Amino acid sequence: MTAKHISNASLAGVFDRLRGTSVLGPISTEGLSWLHRVEAASAPSGSIVEALRRPRAAQSAKGSLLAASEPVGRYGRDAPAATATETAALVLLGVRACELRALGYLDKVMLGGDFDDPTYRARREATTLVACDCAECAETCFCTLVGGRPFATEGFDVNLTPLKEGWLVEAAGEKGAKLLEASQLADAAPAQLAERDKLRAEITERVRSQNAKYGFSADDGNQPQLPEGNDDGWGRFAADCVECGACTNICPTCHCFYLYDHTPSPETFERVRTWDSCLFGTYHRMAGGVNMKLSPRPNLLSRLANRVLHKFTYSPQQYGLLGCVGCGRCIDACLGAIDIRDVVQELSK
Amino acid sequence: MISGNPYVPQPAELIEVIDETPTIKTLVLKPATPMPFRAGQFVQLTLPGVGEAPFTPSSSPLEPNRIEVTILKTGAVTDRLHECKAGQTLGLRGPFGKGYPIEKLAGKDVLVVGGGVGLAPLRALILALLADLGKIKRMSIKYGARCTEELLFRKQHESWTKGAKVDMAVTIDRPQAGWSGHTGVVTTLLTGMDIDKSNAMVFVCGPTIMLRFVVVTLVGEQFRSDQIYLSMNRRMSCGMGLCGRCNIGPYYLCKDGPDMNYAKIENYPNVF
Repeated sequence: MTAKHISNASLAGVFDRLRGTSVLGPISTEGLSWLHRVEAASAPSGSIVEALRRPRAAQSAKGSLLAASEPVGRYGRDAPAATATETAALVLLGVRACELRALGYLDKVMLGGDFDDPTYRARREATTLVACDCAECAETCFCTLVGGRPFATEGFDVNLTPLKEGWLVEAAGEKGAKLLEASQLADAAPAQLAERDKLRAEITERVRSQNAKYGFSADDGNQPQLPEGNDDGWGRFAADCVECGACTNICPTCHCFYLYDHTPSPETFERVRTWDSCLFGTYHRMAGGVNMKLSPRPNLLSRLANRVLHKFTYSPQQYGLLGCVGCGRCIDACLGAIDIRDVVQELSK
Repeated sequence: MISGNPYVPQPAELIEVIDETPTIKTLVLKPATPMPFRAGQFVQLTLPGVGEAPFTPSSSPLEPNRIEVTILKTGAVTDRLHECKAGQTLGLRGPFGKGYPIEKLAGKDVLVVGGGVGLAPLRALILALLADLGKIKRMSIKYGARCTEELLFRKQHESWTKGAKVDMAVTIDRPQAGWSGHTGVVTTLLTGMDIDKSNAMVFVCGPTIMLRFVVVTLVGEQFRSDQIYLSMNRRMSCGMGLCGRCNIGPYYLCKDGPDMNYAKIENYPNVF
């Protein structure tokens, strides 16, 4: 489908009209771009347009599809019969290429096996993805080291490319094409398409050059060779880890969870799925008595190794996809200043 | 894809509680709708409002209306499950996992090695094989428990070994008054066995430390690692390969196990 063009003012107008619906998008706050419920935020639509030109948001959109903690089912004598609940439509605004790749990964995990996560499926199907090329990158962005690029050509409904004057708008898939058709926007000029290509080449080169010192290059079909979790090499990094779980919380692909039950009323029981972290000592905790090993990974070193190996070694074997998309959020979030690029570079030597 | 909400257990009536040993009980469950399972597949048993824990049924897969789960009292959920009374409603999810590779056992010498409550899941295998003994060459069961009181399914051992194809050896850890049988840990039953090693498949279930030493002994007895299946009933939670808790390398024990071919996992750390 032909690319379209929209001005800054018109785009702000589109966001104004979206305020009646559920939109999660970036808003600039203290130099960072944060994801907010746009309909609840007081920020003017112009500041959303501005935030789209900033680097990827500080937090991932994962939580809007896989909530930090939510009921996934009810049972018991007085539990209401299971009915298909209406899931509110959601627009994810300003999603970056790394995030789209992460969503592709989550889709494979949550929907690609013998069992579906019904809550995830309902949310995913009710979500419209409005992606956006990266006009800027964070210092920690490293998508190019893991086979990504700072712009997407698929996996979204609509994609925006920030130009010097206004925005280029493109659609992928049926839903996006319909949206774009309804917009009645003017076709983009050939010079605007050329500008898009030039900007994309420039930002890709910027991400590449800021990561040039890292001597590895991975993609879904080509992984760095990392040692298993009994290698002492992990020790240097484990020594800096404080087991806070920030990296797993902020990671757009980390999806491990814990299930627990509670009792809202005497004969109604609710099962809750809540984020968990494989770095926590309690994560693999098993039942057992005295003299029994209660965790297969009692050492932090092996837990940290397991997390990184899951990203770079196990996920490609399980899903044919790397579990790291190079968003760099874990580097920003780490209290122990662990940089996953250093970990991979040093241990894959 | 399997339909319905896989997080929600279906109701199952507890129709009988059998005291097996001072620390082990068998809960006999009647699921609201029959739950067909293959020997070695596991279920998540819910005590409403308290939580759930993974168990491989100890009963025959030929009876999907009457599922027996044999439980050692060993933690928050199992302590409470031991307090359950007949008539209560519990919950079941599943079955999950692959189950024992029974189709690969035609013409084989099958060696079954159990430790303590580990004989429970193996009973489903034993009963499945007993129901179709013509297929395998023979079955040899080696079982060890701490003391005579902890010997599981003791009254049934004789019925398992009625046929010429099946033999069973039992040991307890230390000599005890009234016990004239073998003493020592279960690995002492595994040396110098009269078994066609090149044609054998071994199924092992028991505490982690027992699995470890059984593997060492079997490898010392010239079994290949791909002949050995270990029950790796770890902290499995969702049962569907989603929650990530039970991995050994790229394998999720809930999806790829819970009985894992040792050749697949032997090179990963933290297996035991």
